Amino acid sequence: MGLDERHYNINTLNKLFAAAALILLLAVGLLVLNDYSRKWKAYQSDFQNMEIEKTRVKLDGEAKKLKNNAEYTQLQEDVKNLQKSVPPGCSKDDLALENKKAAKIDEQNEIIKQRYRVIKAQFDTAKFHYEELAAHGHDVKSAKELYETLNEKTQKLNLAVQQYDTQLAANKKVNDTCGQALKELERKERALNSKAAILVRKLKKIDPNEMNLTNRIAGLIRNAPILDLANPTQKVQQIVLKDIREDNNFLSMPRVDRCTTCHLGIDNPDYKDAAQPLRTHPNLELYISKDSAHPVEDFGCTVCHDGRGRATDFSGAAHTPSSPKQAKEWKQKYGWEELHHWDKPMLSKPYIEAGCFKCHSGQSEIKGAEKLSLGLNLIERAGCYACHNIDKYKDWPKPGPTLLYIASKTTPEWTYRWIMDPKSFRHNTWMPAYFNQSNNSDPDSKARSEQEVHSMVSYLFSESKDFKMTSMPTGIGPTPWEGDPKKGEEIVASVGCFGCHTMQQKAEKKTHDRFAIMREQGPNLIGFGNKTSKLWLYEWLKDPNRYHPTTRMPNLRLSDNEAADVAAFLSKGTIEGFDNIGIAPVNQKILDDIVFQFLKKSMSEQEATTKLTGMKPDEKLHFSGQKLIGQYGCYSCHDIKGFAGFKPIGAELNEQGNKTIDKLDFGFVHIEHSKQAWYNQKLADPRIFDTKKIKAPDEKLMMPNFNFTREETEAITTAILGFVKDKPGKIKPRTPENLAIEKGEQIVRQFNCQGCHNIEGQGGAIKDSVGEWLVKYQGKEKSEIPAILDSFNPPKLDGIGSKIQAQWLFDFIHQPEVIRPWLKMRMPTYKFNAAHLNALIKYFNVIDPSAEEFPFTEHVNIDLTSGELVAAQKMFSNEYFDCTKCHVVGEQLPSGSQDTWAPNLALAGKRLKPEWVIRWMKNPSAIVPGTKMPTFYDPSNYAESGPPDILNGDEDEQIRVLRNFVMSISTHPPTGPLGGEHVPTYQAAPAPNTPEPSPAETDFWGESTTAPQK
Amino acid sequence: MEEIKNIINILARPYIMFPTMIAAFFFIFPPTDGMMKINRQLGIYKLWTKKGGIAIFSFMFLAFAFGLTDKNFRLIVTKPDNVPIVGLIFLVVFFLWLAMKQAYENDARLAEGKPPKEAEDAKENILVWPDLVYIEFIAILLASALLIFWAIMLKAPLEQPANPTVSPNPSKAPWYFLGLQEMLVYFDPWIAGVLFPTVIMLGFMAIPFIDNNRKGLGYYSYNQRKMAISIFMFFWLILWIFLIITGTFLRGPNWNFFGPFEYWDVHKLEALTNINLSEIIYMIWLNQRLPTNIFLREMWGILLLLGYFTLTPWILAKTLLKDVYKSLGPFRYSLFIVFMLLAASLPIKMFLRWGFNIKYIIAIPEFFLNI
Repeated sequence: MGLDERHYNINTLNKLFAAAALILLLAVGLLVLNDYSRKWKAYQSDFQNMEIEKTRVKLDGEAKKLKNNAEYTQLQEDVKNLQKSVPPGCSKDDLALENKKAAKIDEQNEIIKQRYRVIKAQFDTAKFHYEELAAHGHDVKSAKELYETLNEKTQKLNLAVQQYDTQLAANKKVNDTCGQALKELERKERALNSKAAILVRKLKKIDPNEMNLTNRIAGLIRNAPILDLANPTQKVQQIVLKDIREDNNFLSMPRVDRCTTCHLGIDNPDYKDAAQPLRTHPNLELYISKDSAHPVEDFGCTVCHDGRGRATDFSGAAHTPSSPKQAKEWKQKYGWEELHHWDKPMLSKPYIEAGCFKCHSGQSEIKGAEKLSLGLNLIERAGCYACHNIDKYKDWPKPGPTLLYIASKTTPEWTYRWIMDPKSFRHNTWMPAYFNQSNNSDPDSKARSEQEVHSMVSYLFSESKDFKMTSMPTGIGPTPWEGDPKKGEEIVASVGCFGCHTMQQKAEKKTHDRFAIMREQGPNLIGFGNKTSKLWLYEWLKDPNRYHPTTRMPNLRLSDNEAADVAAFLSKGTIEGFDNIGIAPVNQKILDDIVFQFLKKSMSEQEATTKLTGMKPDEKLHFSGQKLIGQYGCYSCHDIKGFAGFKPIGAELNEQGNKTIDKLDFGFVHIEHSKQAWYNQKLADPRIFDTKKIKAPDEKLMMPNFNFTREETEAITTAILGFVKDKPGKIKPRTPENLAIEKGEQIVRQFNCQGCHNIEGQGGAIKDSVGEWLVKYQGKEKSEIPAILDSFNPPKLDGIGSKIQAQWLFDFIHQPEVIRPWLKMRMPTYKFNAAHLNALIKYFNVIDPSAEEFPFTEHVNIDLTSGELVAAQKMFSNEYFDCTKCHVVGEQLPSGSQDTWAPNLALAGKRLKPEWVIRWMKNPSAIVPGTKMPTFYDPSNYAESGPPDILNGDEDEQIRVLRNFVMSISTHPPTGPLGGEHVPTYQAAPAPNTPEPSPAETDFWGESTTAPQK
Repeated sequence: MEEIKNIINILARPYIMFPTMIAAFFFIFPPTDGMMKINRQLGIYKLWTKKGGIAIFSFMFLAFAFGLTDKNFRLIVTKPDNVPIVGLIFLVVFFLWLAMKQAYENDARLAEGKPPKEAEDAKENILVWPDLVYIEFIAILLASALLIFWAIMLKAPLEQPANPTVSPNPSKAPWYFLGLQEMLVYFDPWIAGVLFPTVIMLGFMAIPFIDNNRKGLGYYSYNQRKMAISIFMFFWLILWIFLIITGTFLRGPNWNFFGPFEYWDVHKLEALTNINLSEIIYMIWLNQRLPTNIFLREMWGILLLLGYFTLTPWILAKTLLKDVYKSLGPFRYSLFIVFMLLAASLPIKMFLRWGFNIKYIIAIPEFFLNI
């Protein structure tokens, strides 16, 4: 085999081989580098360095503290001294000798023990053998001998072991006593420097400079490529959540969140100022920490933030920038790229609260998620749920007024102008605008819009049902039809209208937060002069339910006079220039086009033309009006004849948060290509995505414009992004208490109780107007208002669960009676059925934490002996507590100034819980801090605080007797030595004869009340 | 710049590119002596020289570089799934050029009476070790290194969890089936998905039987195997590779055609106004309704098809393919002509589609039979 037989030159081949091998080596080297270089490793080593630094700093701090601690330095001194001194018999030589002795004893002990084991085994065998022989009647002599010998030996060995053990114990005692004092001091020292010791230990573990050599070498190779399979220090951290699952279309997988691989300081408060990703999570009391409501071991991260939990790099985790600016920043700093193939990108910072909704969907207000709560509140107020199905609001009533009887309320001209542009009448109306929007403002569309509005108005008025308006009663005042506007203004300012309404002629620059929205439950009370008649207002105020059976406006129980006054006042208000807004004439040609377009949809063109020619102008208006109301979806918010039971017109929003971005139509509008940008744009101008598209009039986008501000669109977008299909395993527990709270909150929200009352820490929006009333009508100075406002405001309702008897509360809400007769403001009558009332009572009981201590109903003996009666009357009189100075009793008004007046004690028996009264009288400020009720019994010196001459100075008895007395007061002032004149008082209007609340077959939420409770 | 790109977009359309390529093909790979003469005259054979090779490759690189300046082109070409097909284009052209170069060199030598180049190699003994195995080993090393570099630079895409309700748009087959997927535009799924692949395989199996040309065995030669090479190249380059390239790069959402510099607009709409032959004959020409009887309705298409498969072979045997008939004999010839006609039906149908908007020649949806 010679070289000339070779086809190729072997040297060239060798060189090629060398080159190829080197290239492959390079490739493999790059491969290893590529596989093992991960950004998270860099973050982990950064974190380690920061930990070392922080630990060092802490250690220095501790060391300094210890240095300054006198006790510790003293201890150190003592230890040193003790170490130097040597107690008698404890010198080094002595100890050494003792130890040698101990060692010898121990050695012997071991040997004996070994021998003992052997002998014992032999002994046991011999015993067995002996027993066997004896049992079977054989000759036992030799066996017995053996048994006895071995027995003796065992016992001797045992004894020896015990002796040695005692010797050892004695020896040990010596040792112990020698070092006892020193040990004691050292123990004290350790107790003081334990914190520092922990830090030192920690440093030893993590700081390479503090480790011993082996550990340091190990630290270097533990994280090397391939070798890191064993026990690396840098590894992926993950939280596996079995009960919170990820929907992967074919199966649901437990979530695996690897976020903490980079976000290492997330649960450590020391990292509040660190650079991302090491920074601490905000609000550690609510999230992440073990004792918070959302501990990270149970919740992970992605259930709230979304994103791709299993990723270990920045782009792969689907982080979403908050703005295009941040996107650019991220591209530069981190090489960020949008992750296209992931359907659930992380929620960007402005919308992070969307993640709260999937578990907290039952609540009306989610504490800690202000934006989300605002978004939900706006959805409720604007009535989004009426056109768009949202499960949370599926049984809510229609947000708009009824149009069934519109002909009795207003005129076609007003309706035309209103529909054309609602804000031209009421600048802050919640009715959105359908016309003159971005997709129908060209001249053709405008002309068509005019005719459309004509048609709809015509339909509404021709279908309007008869509403009988009785004439105002005669013989009331000098001019029964007039009513006194000035009186009316005062009534409106005082009786409680401003809990749900405002009266703002022009737009005011105030923050439009949830508090302000509470006063927009009902419309802004301007412009009634343009809109409706005094008589209609009178009828409405006397009984709103007659006109609109499902209205949320309650009945203020106004007398005929009052109603006439208020009607006169309200109808004075006009909107300047509104009646001069032009109304285009009916254009038959355009109307024909509209009618024809609708006819074509259900019949052939020929038939349509025939029908069209046969229609009279009124018929055309009626027909097209009906079709247009169906097209625009007016029936979703308003009751309209002929549209009962129609399905909502808007898209269902229940899983809107799950929608992928390719399903959103951006059209030709060039905005940031993200879901949140689309929703914000849509809410800001719903018709904008029709821009540049060629569409027939009935193909155009229909959603009307609410004129939301940027803050409002972001809040609503947060809510929408929260509507998802996911049902995580950690929903807020559906305990009976929580469900009662949910139901109660729903009612409170729907009927705007928080407009007047402060419930669960929110509400009382009426208080500003009360202050204004006090200044304008009661002659108070502005400076005194803050001190006295609470006396005139509606009461806080957080504490009534423990205070008010349930049956009385039930009756009160159903048919209110006067508790505080000096207040002009009155609790209105709401048309609740038994289900509402029971829900409210349960709710109030659950939200008052101290209600648990008071039984729901109780029977307490409130009888009084004659002696007790006398004592009680004494305490009640002006000799002692002088209750009538402040409290109304029956029809007798108090003697003190109006600022101090207190509720009618004649109601106490039925109204208050007896145990609560005791507690109240004992210490009122403990229940309502800052109350005007004096504290008669000093809590710091209770035993001496009561009057000593009544009932033997027994405070508890005094209170009990007084309670019994108060609870038995009837509507007549107390008779007896004190008597009282009968003073004519403010005459409240007799309550209308409201029938018993109907035990509805279905309760407010459509659930059957007759079916067995779940 | 924009103008050039627009022109290229238009030129890339199938109904322009395909006929152009077919027309040019027979000049580059002449199947007959007559065409070979024209080839010589036009100097096209110079493509297969070294200079020609450099010219071809320079042109390809420059074109590619020019294309890379465009964002849309970059998006398609740098998609990790498509990168191998880009490599395929270059590799196919290279190895084709290499083979054709050797073929033409051999033809030149044979024309002078010298034996082909392979004859010289045949004299030599080449040892397995070290010559074969060593170079194989080096090749393995280099190939591994290449694959590792490639794997590091282009990661396989990991997309989101599969969702049965969401289909990707466009939904493309793997590259080796893209030719068939492209055929689906013009043919019924039964034909394009079942019949044609079967026929292709049967055709391959039949080649040793049909091809009885004893010349040009064991060495590259174009002149001695004109027909075989040109027929095979036609099928392979035009009916397979070209369709794969079209399917990879030029088909976008909804399987619409998009030029190489065109933006893949998912909303693009192109009118598909194709009608069946029966509809053309009855409704357009004869102005009457389609007959209810299936046979009556489709009889024209059936006749056409029968004529195509029975008359055409007979006519061709008597005229253009007289020599072929003589050399193959009737049986082989029948096999040969059937496969040829089947293969030719693909471009013919495509022309019918583009020229006359014909959807199906025979349309029997009742039996799922559409041709």
